[in-house]
Amino acid sequence: MMKKLGFRFRKNPELYIGAAITGIMALIMVAGVLFSPYDPDAMDASSRFADPSFAHILGCDNFGRDLFARLSLGGATTLFIAVCTVLIGVTFGTIIGALTGYYGGAVDEILMRFNDAVLAFPSILLALVFISVFGSGTWKVIISLGIVFVPSFARIVRSEFMRCKNLDYVRSARLMGAKDIRIMFVHILPNTVPVVLSSAVIGFNNAVLAEAGMSFLGIGVQPPASSLGRMLSDAQAFLFSEPSYAIITGASIAIIVLGFSLLGDGLKKNA
Amino acid sequence: MLEVTDLHIEIEDSLIPETVVHDFDITVSPGEIVGIVGESGSGKSMSAHAIAGLLSRKDMKKKGSIMFEGEELLSMPRSRLRDIQGDDIAVVFQEPMTSLNPVKTIGWQVEEAQRIHGNMSDEELRDAAIRMLRDVEIDEPERVYYKYPHELSGGMRQRVMIAAALICNPKLLIADEPTTALDVTIQAQIIELLKRINKEKGTAILFISHDLGLVRTLCSRVVVMNKGRITESGTVEEVFNHPREEYTKQLISAIPKFRKIAEASPVPDRKPILEVQNVSARYKKITGYFNPGAKQRLVVKNASFTMYEGEIIGLVGESGCGKTTLGKTILGMLDDTDGKIVHYSEMPQMIFQDPYGSLNPTKTVGWILEEPLRIKGGYSEKERSGKAREMLSLVGLDETYMKRKPDALSGGQRQRVCIALALMLGPKLIIADEPVSALDVTVQEQVINLLIKVNRELGVAILFISHDLKVVYELCSRIIVMKSGEIVEQGTDEEIYNNPQHPYTKQLLLSAGYTEVTQPDGI
Repeated sequence: MMKKLGFRFRKNPELYIGAAITGIMALIMVAGVLFSPYDPDAMDASSRFADPSFAHILGCDNFGRDLFARLSLGGATTLFIAVCTVLIGVTFGTIIGALTGYYGGAVDEILMRFNDAVLAFPSILLALVFISVFGSGTWKVIISLGIVFVPSFARIVRSEFMRCKNLDYVRSARLMGAKDIRIMFVHILPNTVPVVLSSAVIGFNNAVLAEAGMSFLGIGVQPPASSLGRMLSDAQAFLFSEPSYAIITGASIAIIVLGFSLLGDGLKKNA
Repeated sequence: MLEVTDLHIEIEDSLIPETVVHDFDITVSPGEIVGIVGESGSGKSMSAHAIAGLLSRKDMKKKGSIMFEGEELLSMPRSRLRDIQGDDIAVVFQEPMTSLNPVKTIGWQVEEAQRIHGNMSDEELRDAAIRMLRDVEIDEPERVYYKYPHELSGGMRQRVMIAAALICNPKLLIADEPTTALDVTIQAQIIELLKRINKEKGTAILFISHDLGLVRTLCSRVVVMNKGRITESGTVEEVFNHPREEYTKQLISAIPKFRKIAEASPVPDRKPILEVQNVSARYKKITGYFNPGAKQRLVVKNASFTMYEGEIIGLVGESGCGKTTLGKTILGMLDDTDGKIVHYSEMPQMIFQDPYGSLNPTKTVGWILEEPLRIKGGYSEKERSGKAREMLSLVGLDETYMKRKPDALSGGQRQRVCIALALMLGPKLIIADEPVSALDVTVQEQVINLLIKVNRELGVAILFISHDLKVVYELCSRIIVMKSGEIVEQGTDEEIYNNPQHPYTKQLLLSAGYTEVTQPDGI
């Protein structure tokens, strides 16, 4: 058993290291949100920029708020936004990709040209446009990032559907009289899971970075709510006087992204 | 010249190092043709590649000895091995489509070995290459010299491969299933070519094949392999006429040899089940906005035939003759067709050639078998699984297969599942598109027997599409011959095999080795 696990690990170390990093980070955040004795928004002028100690594991920020509690909540917010964004991207991307890949022809041309139009803009810029139309806030960030994420998933699913639709088992399902919807979602869709899963994890990464970027620019999550990008933006002002604030926040983002990158690579290798 | 003793090959790149070849011994004398036969996975290619020095020294551990012209290949330095490879030992691979580099001209590829091993001027290289191309019977070698692989047919490419292998006048040519990917008529030509080269140039040939018939016509000695071990070796006469081992006997008896497995059962009142009248089918070339008026290619031209209840018709022809397209047209799987197709039965089904692509890898066998009933509707879960079990046992698989996924099945088992699947809705007509071509001979025979059983017990009519005249002879009572999209001849098996009218039919039969017209047992 142990030998088998060791063998699997050697075959695909990315998968296991990535899973470990993301798992541990998620666990720490959940623990921080649930069990931290501090209210992440509670200010305390006396402990402004307090050094790490038993009372404040990672120290405090410029308003004397406990950094660990804030990081946990901020990280959880960031992850929540990323999950929702990817879910929107995968759901709509799969529907569009399935329709265009399966039917081809006019459906394909029309939907994919819309897709290309969205892809033609840099994603941050496009999200910025959406935000300036809808206004900012957590849900608005989710929706605008979600829309931006649809095209890439649509392309991936489309190419998988195009590959599968002419395979013999799909032909044979058609000969049995299966309807198109059934062929698409019961016969073909499960075969796209490995590819979609690995790109979803990589998409997750992009979503974390995009959220951080938007919040850093001040168009994402609004204070007093916390997110990793928001905190990095706050820390920026004190980069030279209190560098540990920015370093801790930046490192959290880097570790999360690293974890998901490895996980995505590992899943791709496994697919 | 070549002496291999006690060769063991171990693959290290896996969980438990696996020995794939045990105690392999073979000797090849100058000018001799030796065959290695065995089914897929028997280790025959692995052994041959080890001799050619093609196996990675890092991942494949080799024990034993390979002596070539008095030198030990296994322990010799890489640089010395490179001198021998391509110069004294050359290899021809199975797949002519991938073994030539698509971005280099034919001439360049034929010259390559000479360029590496000799030192000739460009002029001399070119002359030698053209001479070599002429030697392998390529027409207009001066023109072919400047062509690219995609401009040549499969048979031509294989000739080019042989030319490239022979350019340095090697002492040993290793031919790894060189004719497997080719049509029968081309196959026969390549075998003739190898024979001639052996005779004229004295090149020794190590011929690897799963086709015992070919080995018998070409080789003087033969080694039979099974599961990584040599089961038997000796002269071709000894092995084929007096096989000692059970496995060899089994292999030999499984060679398709123009014999009827079962006689056609006469059907009293011949009611038609399918009428095909003047059917044509075309494929559109890729269209786009910038080239309207897309070119069309007629793949099936004016095909007409009638099929009756409970009969097995063989539809034969070489690859690209339109036989598969005709099959798909009959089932309405193509859009661009003309003519009239009348079905007298409901839901005709198809069995596909590649058993690896025809089962959904994400579902269990049980799920796959129940799917047609689920789609049709009106069956309870119990009825569905009961019916699936029934069909599974009919094709000779037990209930435990219900929960397995296709990955866990062998090619033969998959093809059985495909047959069970085709039978789920109780069709009266099944179109089987090369259902045994991807299988090993012993498995082929089992699947053929199963199809005959299905035909006899359930009265299912089968349109059996195949390029293999021997297999067709085993089970079909009527034959339709296609060439370049047209039906050139159709008739009963007697008429087609013993009194062929069309020259193409005669040629096909000749290439397939059907010469002893009056002696149905001949190979």
